[in-house]
Amino acid sequence: MKNISPKIKIEDAVGLTLAHDITEVRPGEYKGPSFRKGHKVLDTDLCHLMRLGKRHLYQLDPDPNQIHEDEAVSELAAALAGPGVTFGHTPREGKLQLKAAYDGLFKVKCQPLIDFNMIPDVMCASIHNNTPVKRGASLAGTRAVPLLIERDILDRAKHLASRYHPIFSVKLFNPLKCKLIITGNEIYDGLIEDRFETVVRKKLSAYGLSLSESVILPDDETRIADQILTYLEKGAELIITTGGMSVDPDDVTRYSILRAGADQLFYSAAVLPGAMFLLAYKGNVPIVGIPACGLFHPTTIFDLILPRLLAGEKPDNRDLAELAPGGLCLDCPTCHFPNCSFGKS
Amino acid sequence: MLLERSARVHGHLCPGQVVGVRMAMLGCKQIGLNDPRNSLEEIKKLIVYVEIDRCATDAIAYVTGVKLGRRSLKFLDNGIMAATFINLETDKAVRIASTEASRDLAAQYAPDILDKHQQQLEGYKQMPIDEMFVIQSVEVEIPIHDMPGPTRFKAVCEQCQAVVRDKKEVFQNGRILCRTCALGGYYRVLK
Repeated sequence: MKNISPKIKIEDAVGLTLAHDITEVRPGEYKGPSFRKGHKVLDTDLCHLMRLGKRHLYQLDPDPNQIHEDEAVSELAAALAGPGVTFGHTPREGKLQLKAAYDGLFKVKCQPLIDFNMIPDVMCASIHNNTPVKRGASLAGTRAVPLLIERDILDRAKHLASRYHPIFSVKLFNPLKCKLIITGNEIYDGLIEDRFETVVRKKLSAYGLSLSESVILPDDETRIADQILTYLEKGAELIITTGGMSVDPDDVTRYSILRAGADQLFYSAAVLPGAMFLLAYKGNVPIVGIPACGLFHPTTIFDLILPRLLAGEKPDNRDLAELAPGGLCLDCPTCHFPNCSFGKS
Repeated sequence: MLLERSARVHGHLCPGQVVGVRMAMLGCKQIGLNDPRNSLEEIKKLIVYVEIDRCATDAIAYVTGVKLGRRSLKFLDNGIMAATFINLETDKAVRIASTEASRDLAAQYAPDILDKHQQQLEGYKQMPIDEMFVIQSVEVEIPIHDMPGPTRFKAVCEQCQAVVRDKKEVFQNGRILCRTCALGGYYRVLK
């Protein structure tokens, strides 16, 4: 990082064209550019600039190997932004925000992003991997740190981004045909009223989905297995089961899923609430088992896994284990998920 | 006269032409442009988003000189008689929407005309701006892929191999696809 540009005293700067945006911070009120790059300094600007702490301004005279921060950040953003990720056309204060081009699941390749930030004079910070995002949501911000960046450094950063392309992407959610099996003798016999269907419908509706079918069954291994097979024949693309995931003799749902011929079955996850969560696949159709915690806690592992299934991913036992750091819900009196540490590994 | 020329290009003179011409003139004035249609310097600073594809849209395009193919005219299928005018140089932007009340108010400004169509046409010419439009100062962050200029981004649909420009591709189930392959098309191919 070199400081190579000549400085002009503020009192001599009238008529100078600003080389960069000048930021003003008024605590609690405003943070943003008060003067934009390209502005020609007027006599009347001097007091304002001095109030912002400016005693000198740069007169930029870059050599051919130096790139202005605004041009550099546009190149960085273009290199980082994969499918479903876009950015504004004008950098502000040398920064560009990357945004979601459509609703979906935000993906970030974490290690390459860290490596990118190990390159001097460039930076990029993002939101967490696997965050469901709406169109227009902010995903990341990037900038070249100095006003002028060396071309070879910029190229190193772009080369890294290109090698691991896409470092950032947004996976489209699939409108899966979802079917629900509510298990439990107590519900089937009418001793208590089911509340799972409402919970599941609400969580699906956040993604614009509805349940195409729902049934209540007793804790009968064969009947639950047969219902799964019936749903599969009817074209279910996501089968959700509730209850029967614990350790009691009547908790048979996971055996039913095995009996139905699941190819892969992962039972238990490094998440609280959600330790007894089940995730299975028959072919490409996911079958999930939501334990009873889903009735009590507003947010559980189901909220972490559902968007990934809708985005066409097939999480496995490793993915379930990787949820461990950040997998503990703090059970706040008012749930602020997803604006909390839960599920952010 | 601007209205006559706009109507000629559009194909007929109608109330929508009056609304569009006045909306466009007002929009340009509000963002500090005088005559972008006839000024190369000004037209390069202007982007217009229209929210309806009706008569007024053609008038807005005519008066301002913005064009879909130049990427200076953006169409959002909202079904609302509104348009947003953006000065790229200053970031100043205004959204102007036609008021529903103006449809009935037209009679007050052309009381001698009985034909509804003619009454609106003449009424809209006389009506004060504040009765005809709602004007909002707005901020529009135009994504890089929607800016005029050469194509910056290209992707190839992994299903149909179409080249998708300007970041309009989607990432579905691990594949980069065009929107038709991912979401279905507006057409059905006949055998």
